[in-house]
Order: sequence, then structure tokens, then C-alpha cells
Amino acid sequence: MATALLERPVAAPPRGIRSRGIDSRGLELSVMTTDTPSPDPSTVGKATPEAAATLTRDLFEEQAMPFIDQLYAAAMRMTRNPSDAQDLVQETFVKAFAAFAQFEQGTNLKAWLYRILTNTFINAYRKKQREPYQGTIDDLEDWQMGGAESTTAMSGRSAEAEAIDHLPDSAVKDALQSIPEDFRLAVYFADVEGFSYQEIAEIMKTPIGTVMSRLHRGRRLLRDLLAGYAQERGLGQAAGQKDLGVQKP
Amino acid sequence: MTDCGCTKAKAELEEYLHHELCGEDAADIFAHLAGCEDCATEHLIGRTLTEAVQRACKEIAPEDLRDQVLARLRNLQSAH
Repeated sequence: MATALLERPVAAPPRGIRSRGIDSRGLELSVMTTDTPSPDPSTVGKATPEAAATLTRDLFEEQAMPFIDQLYAAAMRMTRNPSDAQDLVQETFVKAFAAFAQFEQGTNLKAWLYRILTNTFINAYRKKQREPYQGTIDDLEDWQMGGAESTTAMSGRSAEAEAIDHLPDSAVKDALQSIPEDFRLAVYFADVEGFSYQEIAEIMKTPIGTVMSRLHRGRRLLRDLLAGYAQERGLGQAAGQKDLGVQKP
Repeated sequence: MTDCGCTKAKAELEEYLHHELCGEDAADIFAHLAGCEDCATEHLIGRTLTEAVQRACKEIAPEDLRDQVLARLRNLQSAH
């Protein structure tokens, strides 16, 4: 009787049973081996991947988390409000972590994270916002945009720099928020993040020529808007008068 | 003002500002700016604009966000 019972469990799961009293209780053993979720192979198999996963997560956290302020700042310029910006940053980190195995160590992690941020924004958030100019903004001619050389061209250009310099951050933010999104992002990536035109082209998935044109037009629009703000606040004139005597270092 | 390199300089000023020109072109613009007040002023406005945008765009992520991100990464890992 004992031998008949013994043979079955031993043949089926050979490892889990070996150390225990096989010959004393054959029946109990057969129950154990089916109920306990295969103890030995699982612990041996799991230990290494789990440790590896923790290591990967630690590496990801160490390398990617320092970019959270910058990514949040970019997300703020994209979504224009803190709550959407936070969601966007969370999504970005989750996606980046999921794809971290595909990231090639030694290449530009910051650019890689911005690519994910921008993709996520375009796919998830842009749809929510009405963007009537989408797809046509790059086709607008300069004269439709207010012209390359506009009002500020001849009078008081050194005062213009002074005036821009004295504008409060809120005015600059307002101006940024009001220019078309593609222009705003190009300006943000180049002027704030210091990405190269090539990197921006990859992040925005456009040819370099388009990047240059968006940047140029974006900066032109910003400059005109800021000149307008300065004039409203009387900054241009004040700075202009000051400028006659005082030179910037 | 006759064209003493102003056309080239004005066209390339933005690339110059963003360090996108090759060394030779950058050196040309640099030399031109030293002698041309008009272009130097234009460049000053460009630089000031960049600095103003940089200043205005500084943000610090809320502490909550940092914690939420870390929590989600840990959840993700234990789910797999």
C-alpha cells in the first residue's frame, strides 16, 4: 500500500518532496504537492528577476527623477495648468519606466524623456484642447503673422532689450501661453532646455527646417507681444530715457 | 548703413544665439557683432528674450508629485 501511494507524487513533482519524509505519509504528500504552489522552482526562479527589477527601478529613479522639475516646467507650458501638468508628468514617468529597457545607456536621457513627454502630451492632452490652427500654422506667411520687421524696428531698439529685461515673469508667461503651441514648444525646447535643433526635430518629429521656422516665428511673436506689454506699462519709455545715460554692462 | 555683412549676420543671428553655427560661421558673426552696433543691439534683444523666457519658465515640481511618481513606479514593479 505504501509503495503504491509513494510512486505517484514522487513521479510528478520530483523536487519539492525530496527532503521530506516520503515513506511515512504518502497521501499527505500528494496533497501538499498539488496545493503548495511549487515551492522550490519558484523561489529559485524568482529571486534573481525580482532583484534585477529592483535594481532597474533604482537605476531609473536615480537617472530620471532629477529631471522631474524640468519635465514639470515643460508640462506646465504644454497643458497650461498645474493639475494637467502633474498628470502628464506622472504618465511620462510611468511610460518611460515601462520602456526603460529600450533606452540605450550613454545616450541623452533628457532628450529621451522629453520625447516621451511630448508624445504623451500630443496623444492625450492635445485632443482635449481645441486647436483650430493645427496643421496650418506652419503654412502661414510671415506677413500674416505680423511681419518680420514690425513696429519696433527702428525706434528705441536698445530700449527694447531693457524693457524685456524688466518685464515681470507673469507677463512673459502670458505671452508664451498666447502664442501657437508648436511655436511655444520650439521656443521652450531651444531657449529654456537648450536642446539642439536636431534634438528638437526628433522630439517634435518634424524636419529641422520646420523647427527653425517655428522658433523664428515664435520668438518674433513673443518679442512683439512683450514690446506691447512694455509699452502698456510705460516700460519702454522709462527704459528708453534711462538708456540714454546708463549702459548695460 | 551699407551691407558690411549685416544681411548674413541678421539671417544667422538666431542660429548663432542657439550655438547652431559651425565654428567658422560663428566666428564671422562674432567679428561682425563687435563692429556693428545695429546687429549687436539685435543680438542683445535676442539674448535678453531668451533670458526672460528662461527666468519665467522656472518651476519646481510639487513634493506630492514626486511622491506619487515614486509610488506608481513601485506599484508597477510589484504588479509585474
